[in-house]
Amino acid sequence: MSEATALDELPGELLMWVLIVSELLVFGMGLAAFLGVRLTDPAGFAEAQDHLHRTGAALNTIVLVTSGFLAALALRWREGGARRKARLALVGAAALGVVFLVIKGAEYAGKAAQGIAWDTHPFFTFYYLLTGFHAAHVVAGVVILMLVAWKDAAKNIEVAGAFWHMVDLVWVLLFPVIYLLA
Amino acid sequence: MNEPVKNPDPLRRAWLTLLALSGASALVAELAGQGVDRRLIGTAILVLALMKSRVILARYLDLAAAPSWLRGFTLTLWIFGGLLLGLFLVAGA
Repeated sequence: MSEATALDELPGELLMWVLIVSELLVFGMGLAAFLGVRLTDPAGFAEAQDHLHRTGAALNTIVLVTSGFLAALALRWREGGARRKARLALVGAAALGVVFLVIKGAEYAGKAAQGIAWDTHPFFTFYYLLTGFHAAHVVAGVVILMLVAWKDAAKNIEVAGAFWHMVDLVWVLLFPVIYLLA
Repeated sequence: MNEPVKNPDPLRRAWLTLLALSGASALVAELAGQGVDRRLIGTAILVLALMKSRVILARYLDLAAAPSWLRGFTLTLWIFGGLLLGLFLVAGA
């Protein structure tokens, strides 16, 4: 008979946790590199940061944590047998993901209109790399949420929810470092 | 027959806490234009971000059900936050 290990205590799928830790390491290194390069030109980074739309990004934080709330509720409801409510919550979570992307798209369009590109300043190289990579995860998350709204086994919703919460977790660390630390 | 739906209150509390912490971050960031020391503002912003990350880990990702893992993740994130804060402060904010 096999004995329970510490890994068995982790909720959900072990491989999803491996992915979550991997993603946190990648984004974590990116944020540390961003602040490391900032040491070479603090004034330039501060000037570049003033071009960011902080209100839009703050709004996106509200959008994403609310979407995460709906995804977490979906699992609770599906486990309790409230299948229709769970599906609606998943569609709502995905819709808020789309709202996040629309706001992000408007932000990028605003930068382009100002003539700001990835190579304008090292700040913007990191800005586009980190927020763009994160936005790619949001796109993937929206697709996954819609997929499990269709194939709505509780296990599927749990795994999709964990991915979505990881996207949320990365954003609450990325947003203050890129947009607010001045 | 369907099982009873679990009480969603801890989740609702987590969501409201995240909204409150996000609002606090925005307010703290606004202090930058009012002569408050930027080092203090930066420290507060990072602490609020780490608090938000713990709420997501504990309630959204349900690590509250695995306290030893929650402690491990929280400790690691706070060490990482310390590294970010150090890099921020060394730049002479």
